[in-house]
Amino acid sequence: MLEVKNLHASVAGKEILKGLSLTVNAGEVHAIMGPNGSGKSTLSNVLAGRDGYEIISGDVLFEGKPVADMAPEERARAGIFLAFQYPVEIPGVSNMEFLKASLEEIYKAQGKEPLDAVTLLRKAREACQQVNLDQQFLKRGVNEGFSGGEKKRNEIMQMLLLEPKLALLDETDSGLDIDALQVVAKGVNSLRRPDRGIVLVTHYQRLLDYIVPDFVHVLAGGRIIKSGGKELALELEEKGYGWLEGHGA
Amino acid sequence: MTLTESLKAQALEGATAYQQRNDTLSSLRDAGRDALENLPFPDKKSERWKYTSLIKLQDGHLAKQAHKTSELSTADVPDFGGAQLVITNGALPATLPKIDGVIFSTLSADNPSAAKELTPFSGFNAATLQDGLNIHVAKGAQVKQALHIIYVGESDTPASAATRVNVTLDENSAFTLIEHYAGTGPALTSAITRIHVGGNAELTHYRLQSESAETLHISELDIQQQRDSRVRSYQLMKGNVLRRNDVRVWMNEPGADLVIRAVFLARDSSHVDNNVCIEHASPHCTSDQIFKGIAGETGKAVFNGRIHIHPGAKGTDAQLSNKNLLLANTAEIDSKPELEIYNDDVKCGHGTTIGQMDSEQLFYLRSRGVDAEQAKRMLGIGFINELILSLPNEAIAEWARDWLGESL
Repeated sequence: MLEVKNLHASVAGKEILKGLSLTVNAGEVHAIMGPNGSGKSTLSNVLAGRDGYEIISGDVLFEGKPVADMAPEERARAGIFLAFQYPVEIPGVSNMEFLKASLEEIYKAQGKEPLDAVTLLRKAREACQQVNLDQQFLKRGVNEGFSGGEKKRNEIMQMLLLEPKLALLDETDSGLDIDALQVVAKGVNSLRRPDRGIVLVTHYQRLLDYIVPDFVHVLAGGRIIKSGGKELALELEEKGYGWLEGHGA
Repeated sequence: MTLTESLKAQALEGATAYQQRNDTLSSLRDAGRDALENLPFPDKKSERWKYTSLIKLQDGHLAKQAHKTSELSTADVPDFGGAQLVITNGALPATLPKIDGVIFSTLSADNPSAAKELTPFSGFNAATLQDGLNIHVAKGAQVKQALHIIYVGESDTPASAATRVNVTLDENSAFTLIEHYAGTGPALTSAITRIHVGGNAELTHYRLQSESAETLHISELDIQQQRDSRVRSYQLMKGNVLRRNDVRVWMNEPGADLVIRAVFLARDSSHVDNNVCIEHASPHCTSDQIFKGIAGETGKAVFNGRIHIHPGAKGTDAQLSNKNLLLANTAEIDSKPELEIYNDDVKCGHGTTIGQMDSEQLFYLRSRGVDAEQAKRMLGIGFINELILSLPNEAIAEWARDWLGESL
């Protein structure tokens, strides 16, 4: 589903990813862990197509097609979803209006009829309920005045509605209390399906107590320096990132 | 000949067509011609016209009167729920609407305008006035039905049409006036509206300027507020070849309260200039203004907001905010708030911002499948949404969202 081959990428002229390779097959959950500054967020942003994140060399293929020349909206329509580390506030654009515009485009790309207003509202309400978000949030501006936890749950709520093929979660667990973390994990777990890939980018092992990954990768210095099963996360937790310094780099 | 001289000559030429008319407006036209003779047209050296050039008027708009017969049918005019009155190229319709508590009459020299002709534009307006309208809201009348005036200036060649409406709200009355400018072609609308709001009276005022891009518009809106009167004025406009609105509100007696909410858009090569002055001449009056502007391509928007607090006006609370969004680095917004305060006991605040579209917000929307164009439109509407939501008339709010949205 997702193939990243020897990816070198830069931000503002500075090379951050230095030969990263990663393969995510449908049905798999991958966790990418790493210390601050290892390139975790750069990877998420390169995959989603944010301006200023430049691929220097290497390939990123989604379902066999290179994503480098695809606009962010084209990637979204192809089925890539990025849950932001810091979701931005958009006063004046209501959550509901935004969801409607987003779903219309994504359904259109999938050749599906747009949802009628009543069905859309019902689905949005259900998704809110799933992540313990008050329905009043649908009427408010996108993320406007939301707490940190509410913003993260709003990301998961959108992910539930948009049903992407590949879900990327960029430190969605950071800054969450344990209750909110469980809500987020429950939402993500409900999306696990044989035809969907999930990539969790995280700083903390804690998330993996609730979402059990199939693979764990350690990112350091812009490369994946170690990969393994879920037990790797526990080992990391015990020994710290220092344990791998000098490893494979 | 300088531009100033050339405009004067053209304006006087335009006025001669009306000189022979012998009707109740004759003395008003004479006064207008006097003003034209004595008051020079402004140029860029005049502080209040620094950012707006009159060069586009050189095509001869002032010299000729617009007289294309309107092809406007009521089906073309959005229905905002009020009684409609169409003024075509300055001419009143044969019959005026009937609204309980409101008396309509044509303007005559016996009931001249409250203010004198103090500018060459109001002089030109008086000198070329075909018909004028008086609207009188009776004491205590709580008028439920709004009056929806549709001003249509239409012409195939450069020409002008003058409109003048005087509105008087007697004590304790309440009234809603919707002024909708909807002309087409290279027509200049010279519009003057003078409103007197009596003691404890309440006016809800809409000013919608949706003329097509090739029109020109120069207007003066003058509001006099008496004791404890309340005015809510909602002003929505797009730029055109030349759009200049002078708004002056006088708080003449204590306790008057004013709210202005305005949106101006200048896309493509259009121009819009709002020059607003609030005269706080009496104690304990409040004014609260929010102007939001958007300019794109080579559009140019000018905002000049002056708050003048007179020596005796203690306890004044005056707030002014002008927030602007620039969509292109070729667009221009000139914003100039001015405070002139001659009293210590006042609360006065103003703020101006000029920003660009937020790239984080844009990326967020796009990363969820919304294409760049639509995302920009959504953010543009989002920028002015609080003002659209504040419109009490839902039909106007709905219309405004579509009409403004199509230019974003």
